[in-house]
Amino acid sequence: MIIRAALCPCPPLLARELTGHDPLVAGLREACAAATARLVDTDPDVVIVVGPAPETAAWDPASRLDIVAFAPALGPNGKSGLPLSLGLGALLLDQAGYCGPLVLQAVGENEPWAGCAELGNRLAASASAARAALLVMGDGSARRSLTAPGHLDERAAPFDARVERAVRDGDLAALAGLDAGLASELMATGRPAWQVLAAAMGTGQPVADVLYAGAPFGVAYLVAQFDAAPNGAAQPGTAHPGAS
Amino acid sequence: MAIVNRTPDSFYRPGITWDEAAALERVHTMVAEGADIVDIGGVPAKPGAEVTVEQEIGRTVPFIEAVRDAYPDLVISVDTWRNEVGRAACAAGADLLNDTWSGWDPKLAEVAAEFGVGLVCSHTGGLQPRTRVFRKAYADVMADVLDRTLNLAQRAVQAGVDPSRILIDPAHDFGKNTWHSLDISRRLADMTATGWPVLVSVSNKDFVGETLGADLEGRLAGTLAVTSVAAWLGARVFRAHHVAETRQALDMVAAIKGDLRPARVLRGLV
Repeated sequence: MIIRAALCPCPPLLARELTGHDPLVAGLREACAAATARLVDTDPDVVIVVGPAPETAAWDPASRLDIVAFAPALGPNGKSGLPLSLGLGALLLDQAGYCGPLVLQAVGENEPWAGCAELGNRLAASASAARAALLVMGDGSARRSLTAPGHLDERAAPFDARVERAVRDGDLAALAGLDAGLASELMATGRPAWQVLAAAMGTGQPVADVLYAGAPFGVAYLVAQFDAAPNGAAQPGTAHPGAS
Repeated sequence: MAIVNRTPDSFYRPGITWDEAAALERVHTMVAEGADIVDIGGVPAKPGAEVTVEQEIGRTVPFIEAVRDAYPDLVISVDTWRNEVGRAACAAGADLLNDTWSGWDPKLAEVAAEFGVGLVCSHTGGLQPRTRVFRKAYADVMADVLDRTLNLAQRAVQAGVDPSRILIDPAHDFGKNTWHSLDISRRLADMTATGWPVLVSVSNKDFVGETLGADLEGRLAGTLAVTSVAAWLGARVFRAHHVAETRQALDMVAAIKGDLRPARVLRGLV
């Protein structure tokens, strides 16, 4: 059963070495570290990292972030090809001192809800006999300001607000119901990972705690924790897009 | 290569040469300061309001005609990715098509061939025109730069562009984070070793600002440092906002290399 989930963003700048002298967004890093530490505190039998990538695929759990792909001067190290989101998830877990069993699961950027749901259900089922923790990597829109990577799109802030509200409320159906097309247009790369989370958490309303929400560089970052509904373990397969 | 932006909203000193008279005055100054080429652009690289083909032509072509009238022998470059604009610019007297967006419009090379003008083959890591880099990763950024620019150069030759009129440009900041731009600066000899003349466009760019923690008005020293390293490694064309300072830096590097005699040597000789 999935006993706890953490949501973290996955900008390369989470890797401290990449930002040069300036630590940048120390508050964001601290929030991610806190969320990951809380996952590890549950003493899970396994941690499953889910993050967006070009294709849905499981990766070698021994792989780590390919930092040289972003900063050649910081090499040499292995060219693992591990997607950024999973690399940062593994990095956060390493920094939290976790050295137990790990699953690194990419979900395709264009995976529709049905595929995300199937993956989420499968991950939850695979962990049904264990105490599993889920680390879900993903970002909101990268079109939040004039200087944002994707420039300003007026639809971006309301979209991110909907995601934040859904997370604060533990509203899995709202996450399941996110519009994939709109998310893609808004460069909200976290959408498929959040939908895997929605499916994996299954029934009930998780207890949520938001540790960070902001868009300091025009990309929406959200750090949060979900605990399984108090009435018991999350069961796979029942979250579905809301009627609205 | 002196930059003249016929735009109201380019990143560096926006609108300074939006007015045509001001732009022509700027060309006079830059030529006097030692520019061999002027690079005229009608669309900012950054995202923003759409500039149509017609608008881009309106911004650049009459101005190219005016510069050509004033300077029959000056090399005039037009910074565009669109074949329609390139065609109108060549008809107005442009000598060089500066395709900053890396062959996005494959027909631009055909225009260069048709008019017998030059072509800059650049690298953007696959970015669409007027979009920003977002979390781009490279197994080897210089290998990617070489692969793309040499392929474009080969395609241009096949399209009929005179090989002696082709340049390659790693395009700092385009599809690259600051680490990537520093890496291509450090490894520029890999490009110059290909034999194609290398153009670098580094003036006041973000990778300079991020490296030095400098705002837009504080990037000249960093720009000249990159310019000098690029010159030392064999780059041939330097796209610049600050012509006089760039010329001085390049002359200094040329003197160190032994390619240029000092202007006046008296020290210790009297």
